[in-house]
Amino acid sequence: MTPLLAVLQVEAMKLRKSKLLWIVLATFTIAPLMGGFFMFVLKNPELAKSTGLLGAKAQIAGEATWPAYFSMLAQIIAVGGLLVFGFVASWIFGREYTDRTIKDLLALPYHRGILVLAKFLVVFATAGLLSLYAVGFGMLIGWGISLSGWSSAVWQEGLFIIVITALLTISLSTPIAFFACWGKGYLAPLGFMILMVVFSQIIAAIGYGDYFPWSIPALYSGIAGEGYNLKASNAFTVLFTSLAGIIGTLVWWLYADQY
Amino acid sequence: MKSLIETDRLSKRYNGFQAVEDLSLSVNKGEIYGFIGLNGSGKTTTIRMLLGMIKPTSGTCFIYGKKVNLRNYAIWEKVGYMVETPYAYPELTVKENLHAFRRLRLISNPDVVDQVIDRLNLTPYADKKAKNLSLGNAQRLGIAKALLHKPGILILDEPVNGLDPAGIVEIREFLQELAFNEGIAIFISSHLLTEIARIATKVGIIHQGRLVQEVEAAQLHLLLNQRLVLGVREKTQALEVMASAGFVSSLNKDGFIETYDVNAIKRPDDVARFLVHQGHSPTKLAVEEEDLETYFLRLIGQKGDKLL
Repeated sequence: MTPLLAVLQVEAMKLRKSKLLWIVLATFTIAPLMGGFFMFVLKNPELAKSTGLLGAKAQIAGEATWPAYFSMLAQIIAVGGLLVFGFVASWIFGREYTDRTIKDLLALPYHRGILVLAKFLVVFATAGLLSLYAVGFGMLIGWGISLSGWSSAVWQEGLFIIVITALLTISLSTPIAFFACWGKGYLAPLGFMILMVVFSQIIAAIGYGDYFPWSIPALYSGIAGEGYNLKASNAFTVLFTSLAGIIGTLVWWLYADQY
Repeated sequence: MKSLIETDRLSKRYNGFQAVEDLSLSVNKGEIYGFIGLNGSGKTTTIRMLLGMIKPTSGTCFIYGKKVNLRNYAIWEKVGYMVETPYAYPELTVKENLHAFRRLRLISNPDVVDQVIDRLNLTPYADKKAKNLSLGNAQRLGIAKALLHKPGILILDEPVNGLDPAGIVEIREFLQELAFNEGIAIFISSHLLTEIARIATKVGIIHQGRLVQEVEAAQLHLLLNQRLVLGVREKTQALEVMASAGFVSSLNKDGFIETYDVNAIKRPDDVARFLVHQGHSPTKLAVEEEDLETYFLRLIGQKGDKLL
């Protein structure tokens, strides 16, 4: 067994046995259900009002089509993912400090970087699988409520945007990992994550979202309307932030005094 | 003999606080080194430096003769350790925790987990989640993790904390067996000198980051203060008689005469005979030795010299 494989197995086991997995699964189950609900209401506004699903004064704008629904799923991943993937990263890294198990990982007969790498791989894999689950479940709901406008071009474009959005969002979970290590627990990363979500909204609202990494996935997902063009510089901004998170975490594990 | 654990003028200073200063020690194969100090004396900082978790400000640690640093990670293959209170993954059972560490230690044979569970009497708790373990059993789990890969060096920080008296005896015998029969070098920290003196072959006392004494455990009793305690009916007169014979003595808080005079301690029978001849037959005569904890406190200057 190679060290990386061994650490991956252990990290996967820890995640499998944790409550976190169920919490994030529940979150990514509820989110597409909400999306589906809105689509259903848009599709059947009178039925929704008559059955009490919607209040008399409700104002929901939009259209109940597959392109709109795909965009909604992408936005769920962009905004919900920032929180959920950040939550996963802060748990995977921060729990070693909160449970005070970090010291058991610091004198093993292989390079400490392997542990950091394995933890990041598990964060990425978990976030990827969660995105897949949210989209898969969301599509089932879409078919269940018989949305209109399905075509191969629509689902190809819809899924492409979702995949890119997911990749951008997942990339931004690495600074959270650094804050989990630096803050030795959950509080610092969760605080940082909430701050970034708030900033992403404000900065996007004042028109500088292009320059703020945490705004980019949501803008790309179509949250501000159609027509956002992801430029190489935007992708680079996100990638640079992600890389900074990885390097920061690695440097922390390798060189910081671990009290 | 080549030392398995060695520190050379090890120092650590952080935030203006000198946690460890100029600490040099060594532990050989089959030795149990008892590292004694009060809380905050620098024991855990030393252990963390030994394990490469903290970088020394100056000085070096050697494990198996190799310098402890990030590149020499291969040295940890045969080192088992437990730092501070043992913590485990709370949602995993004892068995799952050990299997996780078996994998992390790259051991392919799953039987080692059952063997170590059996060896540390954890069988009744094997399927219990770590978060539900008593402190004593969590301590056993910590030691089990340290022993899983059959190390040649064992570094244990306060391993008997939280154990009941039977558990302390059991772990003591177990560590002695590991050192004396299997040749493992054991470095064990504690704030209990009496407890450590029972198993250690060498004792090092650390205070305010400095190694204030290092002594073979067998020689430890030679360092303990002794005194002769006398009970007599006429205390004031007996004190004068003792002084006339050249024995510096005083009345202690319990109302007994005591003297630290070496001749009196060596020949209490002569003192008794002398007092009888002077008409002060002793009602009590005892040579008392200070206990190790008292010696420890005296050594680190926490209490007066004549504490005994």
